[in-house]
Amino acid sequence: MTLPAHLLDALASAAVREGIADAVYTHLPTPIGTLLVVQGQRGILRVGFPEEPEDRLLAQVAAGVGPRIVASDRELAATRDALSAYFEGDDETPALPVDLALVRSPFRRSALETLRAEIHAGDVVTYGKLADRLGRPRAARAVGSACATNPVPIVVPCHRVVPGSGGVGSYAGGPDRKRALLALEARTR
Amino acid sequence: MSTVALPPFWSLVEAHGDELLVHARRMAGDAHGEDVLQDALLRALRAYPSLRHADHLRAWLYRVTTTTALDHHRARKREVLTDEPPAPATEPEHYDDAFESIIRVLPDTAQTALRLRFVEDLDYDGIARRLGCSVVAARQRVSTAIRTLRNQGIAA
Repeated sequence: MTLPAHLLDALASAAVREGIADAVYTHLPTPIGTLLVVQGQRGILRVGFPEEPEDRLLAQVAAGVGPRIVASDRELAATRDALSAYFEGDDETPALPVDLALVRSPFRRSALETLRAEIHAGDVVTYGKLADRLGRPRAARAVGSACATNPVPIVVPCHRVVPGSGGVGSYAGGPDRKRALLALEARTR
Repeated sequence: MSTVALPPFWSLVEAHGDELLVHARRMAGDAHGEDVLQDALLRALRAYPSLRHADHLRAWLYRVTTTTALDHHRARKREVLTDEPPAPATEPEHYDDAFESIIRVLPDTAQTALRLRFVEDLDYDGIARRLGCSVVAARQRVSTAIRTLRNQGIAA
């Protein structure tokens, strides 16, 4: 696309100002690859790794919160700064509002909320222990599904959930990224 | 929220933005093309969730751009020539109504050509087949109709 950047910026900003943008997205280069960050009116809805097809990801957001989706680096400047500070080790967890609107299952939602509220940078928890905290000690597998389908990785820190049998376990962005995030947080702490 | 599965709006902007800017410049002139397109896309975004289906979105964006260009012509003319207060800033509920009211001033053949192009979203081959004329003639009918509208917009 070759439309002038000032036209696109002005259009996206006008949409946000009018409150008619269902979501705004931006591409953010980080040490673990360029992330696609999608923010709704209440908080971050979706963080995508580079391997995820962008059209499918944005269609998923459109189906969840509405199709009025625009791109703007400028409108998401604060979010970009907070995430960049996290990756530079200046900030333990990006203190950004999150909107779990794309998570339909109440159990998965509460698992992700608990994870975000209680498991801090530098700590890890096993799938079983997180299930215990949720009062569902036999639901380790379901906690695993909640993490595997977390729409907001990094900001909701599913990388801090590891198997009881050792190792880092699996991760939507691949185990190498999970190791990199845990190493970053061990240093930041 | 919309009940039909509409694609993310920005994917339409990315897919059709360039040709819409060409259309906006053709309708409004080089000096105003970008302003017209920015306003047209904002109007389209406002109306987007109320669309009842996801067909012919490109043609719909052309219609919104056409009506926006003519509105801008009228607004500019008012500024230059009179103290007439601007018309109330109501957004037409359906752009098809606005489009129809704008092309009403044209001869029937020209109206048909524009509908085939911007409502049915046909290419010039398709328009030629429907009108039983050559592709060159189809292209000519559409561009003559647009030119007439543009002149009418300025002179209105």
